[in-house]
Amino acid sequence: MTTNHRVRRWATAGAGLTLALSLAACGGNVGGGSAEGEDFPGDEPITILVGQDAGGSTDLIARELAEGVSDELGVPVTVENKPGANGALAAQELAGEDADGHTLMVYNGSLAYITPLANEDAPDIADYEIVTGISLDDYVLVTAPDSGFSTVEDLAAAGRPITFGTTGVGTGSQLSQELLFAQADIDATAVPFDGGSPTLTAVLGGQVDVGSIQLGEALEQIEAGELDAIVTFAEERPSFLSDVPTAVEAGYDVPVQQSRAVFAPKDTPDEVLEALRSAFEVAFEDEGYQAFNEENALTANQVDGDEIRETWTSNLDEYRSVVEEFGIDLGGDQ
Amino acid sequence: MDFAPVLDGFAVVLEPTNLLYCLIGVVVGMLVGVLPGLGPAATIAILLPITIGIEPVTAIIMLAGIFYGAQYGGTITSVLLKLPGEASSVVTVFDGHALARQGKAGTALGIAAIGSFIGGTVSIVALTFLAPLVAGFALDFGPPEYTALALLGILLVATVSGGSRLKAVIAACVGLLLATVGRDMFTGGERFTFGNLDLADGLDFVPIAMGLFGLGEILYNLEERHTAAAAPARIANVWPSRSDLKQSSGAIGRGSVLGFLLGILPGGGATLSSLAAYAVEKRRSKSPERFGNGAVEGVAGPETANNAAATSSFIPLLTLGIPANATMAVIYGALLVQGVNVGPRLVDDDPELFWGVVNSMYIGNILLLIMSIPLVGLFVRILRVRPAILAPITVLITLVGVYTVNNSVFDIVLVIVFGLLGYLMKKAGFDPGPLLLAFVLGSLLEDSLRRSLLIFDGDAFAFFTRPISGTLLAVFLLVVLYPVIRSALTRRRSAERPIDSKELV
Repeated sequence: MTTNHRVRRWATAGAGLTLALSLAACGGNVGGGSAEGEDFPGDEPITILVGQDAGGSTDLIARELAEGVSDELGVPVTVENKPGANGALAAQELAGEDADGHTLMVYNGSLAYITPLANEDAPDIADYEIVTGISLDDYVLVTAPDSGFSTVEDLAAAGRPITFGTTGVGTGSQLSQELLFAQADIDATAVPFDGGSPTLTAVLGGQVDVGSIQLGEALEQIEAGELDAIVTFAEERPSFLSDVPTAVEAGYDVPVQQSRAVFAPKDTPDEVLEALRSAFEVAFEDEGYQAFNEENALTANQVDGDEIRETWTSNLDEYRSVVEEFGIDLGGDQ
Repeated sequence: MDFAPVLDGFAVVLEPTNLLYCLIGVVVGMLVGVLPGLGPAATIAILLPITIGIEPVTAIIMLAGIFYGAQYGGTITSVLLKLPGEASSVVTVFDGHALARQGKAGTALGIAAIGSFIGGTVSIVALTFLAPLVAGFALDFGPPEYTALALLGILLVATVSGGSRLKAVIAACVGLLLATVGRDMFTGGERFTFGNLDLADGLDFVPIAMGLFGLGEILYNLEERHTAAAAPARIANVWPSRSDLKQSSGAIGRGSVLGFLLGILPGGGATLSSLAAYAVEKRRSKSPERFGNGAVEGVAGPETANNAAATSSFIPLLTLGIPANATMAVIYGALLVQGVNVGPRLVDDDPELFWGVVNSMYIGNILLLIMSIPLVGLFVRILRVRPAILAPITVLITLVGVYTVNNSVFDIVLVIVFGLLGYLMKKAGFDPGPLLLAFVLGSLLEDSLRRSLLIFDGDAFAFFTRPISGTLLAVFLLVVLYPVIRSALTRRRSAERPIDSKELV
């Protein structure tokens, strides 16, 4: 849980502050140049916005990274949760912040390439700078062991409309299943829950037939035999669940992954972005961080901003065309 | 049952930090219990922001301590000053103060402390065994069951709580309406947000609780002039005599069971169970005329029951994520702020939190027993603190506190608005409890209902085809129809006997 993170955050913040003070005491900023961004981060703290609740995977990732970045840059790095609208609220706040690198956000790919399919007001990634990619999170289609379903064919042969739990409207959980069931020609109703944990509980209790959940959240139950994995929605079999076929292997071309990246406000100076990128690179190298990824079934995806922008934009285009092809309506799916 | 997590829970409680916060919790609980006006719900609401910086287990241990600690504290002023510190100690006034006038204040306080301790302990033991059972069962709780449970919960809160039933229902409806503000979870559409980003995610629970209970109560209490009541200087023989103990042992036993059961019930809780226990004791007694004139059972029963209920009301919260009463709703808010997923999987997912909190209650009760007997005089002295000093400090803490939760000035505005609302409600005789609880349960009710209908493919009658939701809805209908049927019956009876009806008028 989040328990230790707060404590640790304060500890690192404290350590960072001490470091900053001692650096300042050593004789001011080197060069004292006038060009903005040259003395980044100075002794100002950095805030990382998170558009999800404390304790969720995005939040945990942000907190894990904040620690490493703070150590590297020598200033306190705090995580601020601004949950709402799948992260759109936090993105909106980020857009209004000064482009000085002191306010960042862990941006979820789903907000960039899925939410716009459900809601036209979704933010556009063209309005932000991208510091670096972080990691990929796979979705897995799970069911209760006594449901009698173990393959997509079983679902198609159910002889009745099936129900599927999603972690919310406009999420990868919803899109992955909508696409799969549309392609497999399965009559299915989406039941949105409020996040991964309630969805998991609903599948465990057989309240819905199946549900698509992020791998890290379901892995423990799958390994314990409390849940059966039908397919994963990854491009290739994730190493954490190598004996379960992907939807692509099962004959349905619908890779949907949750990708995360660090965003900064538009027009943040290049020097600042560069400084931030190298600080994050150091944080990625940390053993604790890598163990964290392993534990939460996250696949590292530490590519640069341009690559993220390219992938996410093409994802959006691709999903938009499939969704139109099959007549899927993510928003008003009642 | 696997006892390893239970034992691990003790390890959690015995960490020095947790012990310290448990002590702080029960002491604060005792204090607010002694102070009339500021109740446990208000105190917990005001202290919510403070809990953000500390770990969830520690925070909830402290807040729980405030809740059951207040049940001990409320007794003291009831007995000594005829001034109930808590609603749940109102009935203790009848016999407790009568005993005090006979010079047996020590006996009354001693019996109350011992009864509270036993009631609390019995309830924790039962909670230890029952909660995992309920949690195991809880996977069967799908959207339809939550719909029925939320509906029943709101209804019970509105009808069972004291005061006017109509006003409670009105307050609950306002709570339900407030719960609809914000983005529609199913379509993403905005409701009652007026384009305001602060409202896009709906109203936050914390400022509402802090406003209604914290600020509202403070404002309301400022109006009441508390004449500094002179407490008796000395309290002799705190330990009850053997015959007193023998006389009240039955009452303590019955109070434990009754309190435990009523505490689980939505809308039940400490106040209701103390009233019920008093009624039971009076009815069972061979000499009911002693009640009101210093019957020891009249103190033992309700005091045991309110403590047992304070403990058992954690069961629905920690296992199903349904707060049974207003105080639990505030603790629910604390868990949400901490990012803890309350629900069926809490026992398995976060055993440290679950058992840490449950087991802290053993320690807390022992601390309270130790404190309440020798330190009575000290706590009574607290009453001399004038409201003119206490109120501004509390208001300041509330406003600064709420800002720190989300760093949002809008939240401060919300606290003030809901503080005024809470004040006006109290003045007009509305209990803010049903409003808050309906607000909490409102989104659960709506979301679960819509999910159920999606699962049932729109068939509303399917609610009755599932055993748990069917039973809950049957109980719901019974509770709704009972007053109607009863009044119809009395009307018919009074029509047959016109003389009686005149008496009734």
